[in-house]
Amino acid sequence: MIEMLSYDFMQRSFLAAALVGAVCSAIGVFMVLRGLAFVGAGTAHAAFAGVTLAYLVGLPPLLLAVVFGIATVWITGVMEEKGRMKLDVSIGILYTATMALAILFIGLMQGYNAEVYGYMFGSVLSVTPDELRIMLTLSLLVLAVIVLFAKELYFVAFDQEMAEASGVRARPIFYLLLTLVAFTVVISLKTVGAILVFAMLLIPASTAYQLTHSLSHMTIYSVLIGITSAVGGVALSYVWDLPSGPAIVLLATFIFFVSLLLSPKRLRRVPV
Amino acid sequence: MTTPIIRFSHATFGFPGVIALQDISLEISEGEFVGVIGPNGSGKTTLCRAILGLMRPLEGSLQIFDCACEKLRCHHRARIGYLPQKGVLERNFPITVLEAVMMGRYGALGLFRRPGQQDREIAVEALENVGMQDHRNTALGHLSGGQQQRVLIARALAQKPQVLLLDEPTTGVDITTQHSVLDLVQHLHRDLGLTVLLVTHDINLIRSRVNRLVLLKTRLFAAATPEEVLRPDLLRQVYGKDLVITQQDLIIVEDYHHR
Repeated sequence: MIEMLSYDFMQRSFLAAALVGAVCSAIGVFMVLRGLAFVGAGTAHAAFAGVTLAYLVGLPPLLLAVVFGIATVWITGVMEEKGRMKLDVSIGILYTATMALAILFIGLMQGYNAEVYGYMFGSVLSVTPDELRIMLTLSLLVLAVIVLFAKELYFVAFDQEMAEASGVRARPIFYLLLTLVAFTVVISLKTVGAILVFAMLLIPASTAYQLTHSLSHMTIYSVLIGITSAVGGVALSYVWDLPSGPAIVLLATFIFFVSLLLSPKRLRRVPV
Repeated sequence: MTTPIIRFSHATFGFPGVIALQDISLEISEGEFVGVIGPNGSGKTTLCRAILGLMRPLEGSLQIFDCACEKLRCHHRARIGYLPQKGVLERNFPITVLEAVMMGRYGALGLFRRPGQQDREIAVEALENVGMQDHRNTALGHLSGGQQQRVLIARALAQKPQVLLLDEPTTGVDITTQHSVLDLVQHLHRDLGLTVLLVTHDINLIRSRVNRLVLLKTRLFAAATPEEVLRPDLLRQVYGKDLVITQQDLIIVEDYHHR
């Protein structure tokens, strides 16, 4: 089993998985607390539409993924802020519209493109050194911004209006959070794929939610669970020859159900 | 109680197609305890949002700490401790009492500065002021409605505010808790010298505690002592019902009185 660490591609895979696990689970905390969980799903499909367009016109896929992701997440943010329609409705519309765009772009391509499907379903074992460098840079950037603005992000997640009334620049922080979601999705596309990245944003944070009554502890637990699921999932996919994306997500889901059973909130023991 | 710190001058506030407050002229002086009353939809919460600088006047002006409300900066807002209308806090929301109160420091700290020991001491002191210091590590969602209100008042106090702005702080709690919350606010007004603006529906509960009552129904109908404001003719104009003051000084709707 240790032999898998001797392969370069496995080393890259483990590092990529750990980065995705850490970044998704950290930003996922604020999304779950702020009630923006489904924004992750909409953004992932928008980013995938960007990837397909990039392959169609010959541009860098991650660049267009970022552009599509940020555009979608900001439109969602404006709709949520204006209260013109319910958040789940606006996300549903953007989610399906961007997916339709992706399918349209795939249809316009000449023949089958395996790389595009790699972004759809994830393929952590095929992460190249260049892709890993980009992921590392973006991950460190996202994590640094989270650390830098942690107190504002927590307050906005708790109560945005109260945060604004207390003198926190809540609106820019809300859009910063949405932008970080878009970057996190793009970082994760290659590893877990557009369909499953939503799970990595949602499940570790929701698992941590079951385990504690403290904001800071929730963040720590979420990141640990995210890294464990991602790295463990890659190991399982190697050992049992499984697709990596589903292995990561199913392991995270398993940990979630275990946490439900052991949750001190359910057992009425409430350690902080 | 002479220096006005909040000045509405013919101010109108609203949303597209809706005027929520019209032509309001009102001064609130430092150290005052002012109750704001009026029926549902009379503009009480809009008044709060305006004072917080979250709405700009459509007409007229609003000065807070000698600053136009639309130019209110974060450090100004941090001087107003705000308790919003009570929402339902999810029981399992992962936040401890101390974490919630510490958030009161964030606006004053500004960007990039992390809360330190001094901020923690201020938060603990705020909890002591509301009698909740023994609950600092308890989950906020596990407290009773009245205790949660006390914690959120402590969060407002942690801002070290000059003004305490409370939007219906006694809604959704039992009568004993209503009195205990208002006793606390009265104590904070007296002992910490805070200017207090308290929005409420419960005239009977606050009439003996405030210096002035502000009676709203989109327009300002009165801003004077409780005795001057609580006149049956004035109340009838605003509430559209005959309200009577009983021998026990309770204000009740006349229809019920005659049953």
